[in-house]
Amino acid sequence: MKKTGFWILLAMLSLSCEKDPEVGYEALPNLNERVLAGGETTVFLTSSNAFSTPAANLSGSDLNKHLDGDLQFESVFVSAPSEINGGVGPIFNNSSCVACHPKDGRSAFPSNINQISGFFLRTSLPGQAEMGGPRPVPNFGKQLQNQAIFGYEAEVQFAVSYIQRPEIFGDGTKVMLQKPVYGIAESYIPFPEGALLSPRLAPPVFGLGLLEAIPAFYILSNEDVNDSDGDGISGKANYVHDPISNTVALGRFGWKANTATILEQCAGAYLEDMGITSPIFPTETGMGQSNGNDGMGDDPEIALEVVDEVAFYCKTLGVPAARNLNEAAVQRGSQLFESIQCAKCHIPKMITEYNPIQVLSNQVFYPYTDMLLHDMGEDMADNRPDFLANGREWKTRPLWGIGLTQIVNGHTHFLHDGRAKNITEAILWHGGEATTSKEAFKNLTAEERSDLLAFINAL
Amino acid sequence: MKKIINSALFIVYVGMFFVSCSDTDTQDENPDNNQSFYKEVLSDLALNVITETYRSLNAQALTLQNAVDAMSVGDENALTTAKVAWQQTRAPWEQSEGFLYGPVDTEGIDPAIDSWPVDVNAINNILNSGNPITQSLLESNNEARGFHTLEYFLWGLEGTKPASALTNRELEYLKAAAANLQSKTEELYSGWLVSQGNFAGNFINAGNTGSIYASQKSALQEIAEGLSIIADEVANGKIEEPLNGNNGSAKPEAEESRFSNNSKLDFANNIRSIQNIYLGNYAGNVNNGLSAIVSENDSSLDVEIENLITDAINTIEAIPGTFTEAIINNREAVAQAQQKVRALQTLLDSKLLPLMSGL
Repeated sequence: MKKTGFWILLAMLSLSCEKDPEVGYEALPNLNERVLAGGETTVFLTSSNAFSTPAANLSGSDLNKHLDGDLQFESVFVSAPSEINGGVGPIFNNSSCVACHPKDGRSAFPSNINQISGFFLRTSLPGQAEMGGPRPVPNFGKQLQNQAIFGYEAEVQFAVSYIQRPEIFGDGTKVMLQKPVYGIAESYIPFPEGALLSPRLAPPVFGLGLLEAIPAFYILSNEDVNDSDGDGISGKANYVHDPISNTVALGRFGWKANTATILEQCAGAYLEDMGITSPIFPTETGMGQSNGNDGMGDDPEIALEVVDEVAFYCKTLGVPAARNLNEAAVQRGSQLFESIQCAKCHIPKMITEYNPIQVLSNQVFYPYTDMLLHDMGEDMADNRPDFLANGREWKTRPLWGIGLTQIVNGHTHFLHDGRAKNITEAILWHGGEATTSKEAFKNLTAEERSDLLAFINAL
Repeated sequence: MKKIINSALFIVYVGMFFVSCSDTDTQDENPDNNQSFYKEVLSDLALNVITETYRSLNAQALTLQNAVDAMSVGDENALTTAKVAWQQTRAPWEQSEGFLYGPVDTEGIDPAIDSWPVDVNAINNILNSGNPITQSLLESNNEARGFHTLEYFLWGLEGTKPASALTNRELEYLKAAAANLQSKTEELYSGWLVSQGNFAGNFINAGNTGSIYASQKSALQEIAEGLSIIADEVANGKIEEPLNGNNGSAKPEAEESRFSNNSKLDFANNIRSIQNIYLGNYAGNVNNGLSAIVSENDSSLDVEIENLITDAINTIEAIPGTFTEAIINNREAVAQAQQKVRALQTLLDSKLLPLMSGL
């Protein structure tokens, strides 16, 4: 652990020349250890490449595997048969990984909801399927594909309209939120009345290996399903069917923590987002539908090795370092982050133990998530259950890297469907268990709000 | 694609911690001078290299569109003119790949104009359908528009398609695709223009309000990283996959511009993109590039980078015959070119990026 020693030395040295805090003020927290947002995987970039760089401690055959995965992540698929990258669709949402996760980052909400983009709707019927997951809608499945290869009909075209929802700060400042209301504009066969819809916008993909490697006990230690400590905040683990091991497992990924592993997430995205079959999911998503069978008999369209490389790539992307943690405004913001209880769910620090991917082993890192589900209130509710997550519950999103979104992706559309157009709006969308924190935020002074945003933007 | 060597950055970052509390840093002696000097470099690069490259790209795309509009079945001269126009549009595009940040990425322009591979089935199905072939039909089909779709029609799969083999339906497609390409290059150019999207302003005003870059250094790092990224892409993607993608043997179908046999020129122009940014030159206009900063700090490094860039371009151009032939018959020459580009990337990663991080 040579580098750890190095960092301790660094911390000591950088402390030694720090100016004394201004007399008469409460000492501000020292946040230096949080610079290493991804532990030893941390990369020090503040450019548009901040999310798309291999973990700093990656080398040798692991680095080569990562770079092979990088090529796969960028590969664009075309309709089959093709001498290269054949098999997209027949129905799909997009044709490459990178198209939805540009620069390994976050999709913008599309200006036209039916253009090819990183946005789609999930669907299901009320109730639970056999394994406890959502009930597929017959002839539509659990994800709606609004694109199709030429000559095939997409499942649906999406529709969205907006309801204005004003929020007024304690100091009178007004913010107008736009609440999206989704629907189906067209469908290849009638879309069932009463089917549930839930929107998704593609999130960043760096640091996922660390999140996968957090010991389950560490996550569960923050669980408080019945709010027995009475702080108004529960925290509930999702337990999901893991189709790869065919067991019940702790859900970690997806906006409702409905997926146990990155490998499953990647294979699922190949299948449902791109229409690419793999040994993990060898059947076309629209099989049995009039628009779903390309008749090629070419499944699986990619080898397990490809899915594995892409999963490895996502697991071993470095996490960008936090910035400006020595600035007073950022430090004041971090105090507010604690005092108005953002940190109760966006728990700063997580750890890993031994991991087969060596660079992920025994790390201390700062994702700002508890990996648990929370009731986020009626306005955020999708009313679509997913395993143990009910229609009001969402998994706490990591906040690491959030301040670099504008530089990396040219926008600041946040939350599961990009409805928040900046961080302030994202906070104002919090309801349910986060209502007290949101109200506290609204009652901060303009300067305090600015400090809090300075802190979040430093992550 | 983005193998930026982080260990080097790491050391520099750590170094900054120590430097940050020293009041005797030489660069602090003249902070205002540095600020205006960096502003000059950033402005020159944003306006006179990057925006100019896009201006030229858009102008050539308009020429290409006109050339395609003038084509007819059997008119060999018009086909030749269109092919030349395609290559002259391709050149500034490849010379722009050293700066794939900003609107080219965030507005989805790169996939719309340079998606690869071409979806031959989609193209044929569109041709065989009764649908009018319009720009809006192509909008939802990244893999059936852009440079490589045009290339497919102009050269054919074997690169030898005569004008007599063109159909009216193909011409209809070509015209829609050329118009769509031009609309995208115009969007890209407008996105950088100060008077319009003003992405250039982020570099000119770096460190001030209104710029997404919190410091001039951060903007300079973005520019420097862009050079490393394209060097990596050329060496480890565009050359490596066709050369060795079949378990160490050639994989001809992985060559990007193989219908037109334009690959060598594509690669050389990618490295010229590095050269243009490094030297601050575009189309013969001499400005301040990254070289201006490097030469002040480490004049031997400056010479080393400049020479290696030239060397890499020359070695690519010295590959005998077409790239398609060379990956089979002259593998050593291709490997040499790849080696030069890799050496350039290593130099950029190990010396240029740390220098920029240390400013």
